[in-house]
Amino acid sequence: MSTAAIEVKNLWKKFRIYYDRALTLKERLLFWGRQRYEDFWALKNINLTVPHGVTVGLVGRNGSGKSTLLKIISRILYPTKGEVRVNGRMSTLLELGAGFHPDFTGRENIFLNASILGLTRREIKERLDEIIAFAELGDFIDNPVRNYSSGMYMRLGFAVAVHVDPDILLIDEVLAVGDLAFQEKCLRRIRELQQRGKTIVLVTHAPKQVEDLCDMAVWLDKGEIRMQGEAREVARAYADWLAAQPS
Amino acid sequence: MKELYLYREMLRNLVAKELRARYKGSVLGFFWTFLNPLLMLVVYSLVFSFVMRAQMQNYAMFLFVGLLPWNYLANSLIQGTASLVHNASLVKKIYFPREVLPLSVVLANLVNYLLSLLILIPALLIFKVHLTAALAAFPLVLLVQTLLVIPLTLLVSVATVYFRDLEHIMGILTMAWFFLTPVIYPSEIIPPELKPLFNLNPAAPIIEAYQAVFFYGRWPDWASLGWLALGGSFFLVLGFRLFDRFQRRVAEEI
Ligand SMILES: Nc1ncnc2c1ncn2[C@@H]1O[C@H](COP(=O)(O)OP(=O)(O)OP(=O)(O)O)[C@@H](O)[C@H]1O
Ligand SMILES: [Mg+2]
Repeated sequence: MSTAAIEVKNLWKKFRIYYDRALTLKERLLFWGRQRYEDFWALKNINLTVPHGVTVGLVGRNGSGKSTLLKIISRILYPTKGEVRVNGRMSTLLELGAGFHPDFTGRENIFLNASILGLTRREIKERLDEIIAFAELGDFIDNPVRNYSSGMYMRLGFAVAVHVDPDILLIDEVLAVGDLAFQEKCLRRIRELQQRGKTIVLVTHAPKQVEDLCDMAVWLDKGEIRMQGEAREVARAYADWLAAQPS
Repeated sequence: MKELYLYREMLRNLVAKELRARYKGSVLGFFWTFLNPLLMLVVYSLVFSFVMRAQMQNYAMFLFVGLLPWNYLANSLIQGTASLVHNASLVKKIYFPREVLPLSVVLANLVNYLLSLLILIPALLIFKVHLTAALAAFPLVLLVQTLLVIPLTLLVSVATVYFRDLEHIMGILTMAWFFLTPVIYPSEIIPPELKPLFNLNPAAPIIEAYQAVFFYGRWPDWASLGWLALGGSFFLVLGFRLFDRFQRRVAEEI
């Protein structure tokens, strides 16, 4: 394919930071024209092209705009200016198990959650066994998820999300969940997806993970791209800069 | 629209969840879907045949025929206000066409209404209301009503994100609308000079059409249904457009 998997052009994102949020009709009418909020630019002029089959690491300090960028690419948020183009089926892992219904069993939640991620009934049925096997929940799969531990909850969430079989996978700091064995398994799954030519964008705080997993990296700082390029270079520069910060 | 089709399984699951969750934990469970209209029927027929002695013949049936589709409309609106704000965690974390949430509310209430017909029809027979071929117009009346319910529910759901108290006001608004609509009274009692004003209410001709079809055994007023269908189609397109425009900032405002 000649077109890129993800193309971000001159992207800006503005949030309103409310001091004192007027949410009710009465307040809105009373404070008409003097809504107390301040504009905050969370992303400033972001340009980014991700070719097909490439894994990109996104690094930066807390609040630098990584999650915001991921949410705009995945269409959860809408850009203030600029444009984003995505070619291919996309799946986002922002928070595992969002959309689970506590009273439903693990199995029922697989159907619910996978359908929220856009799978049809047939696709879900085809993948059901694989998802259950991946989650390794044993007999708990037929228990209501409100009885799950938080680790089990996330296992199930991860299992569903990676079996959507997207062309493009956006991952926000969810690789750090579960016990060590499960983390290993998640990483193996990511490598397997890479080998099958999937495009991956990965938010992480660990420069080491960028070096190990990614081809390219982007370093965000206060909503701007500070550096982008080959993964190892960016990861090292970022690690050096981090080490030099007074903490 | 094409995207909505891709998410049909989500819509189906949410409707099932809605129908199941409503009575979850109650002893009788899903049977409440039938028991609710049945109890309503019993109470109304007792009150109006023994306590209030309505002037109208078979008043309880008249009321029942109009009240069930009214509930479809009113419950869609009331639950619609909560459909986005109460699913904030979903809206903020996962991409899906947000129309799915209010639409699932409409569909669940539509299914509930259709199920309540299983009580209505036998009740009409028992109370010796004459059922005629006019029943054939029922699907059309339901379609026209749905053309209005969908965009209204879409709009209240997204408006509630920006004006939270809509969720609490909606109950009162629908109650006011209820009294302006000929559900508990026949439209004949409206003074003729007020009739044009009264006809501005799109719910009036719809409820009257239900009463014609089920209660009076007459064909509905085709002219007003036709106009409503036309207006409803425009409103439907407009509703989806406006929803799309206003849902853009939903994930950050919610
Ligand atoms: N809905 C919102 N309304 C207002 N401001 C927001 C909103 N979402 C994010 N922000 C602000 O935008 C900035 C970037 O947030 P973002 O979540 O993208 O950071 P991040 O790089 O993911 O940080 P972290 O490493 O902590 O996850 C932050 O300053 C945050 O306060
Ligand atoms: Mg983040």
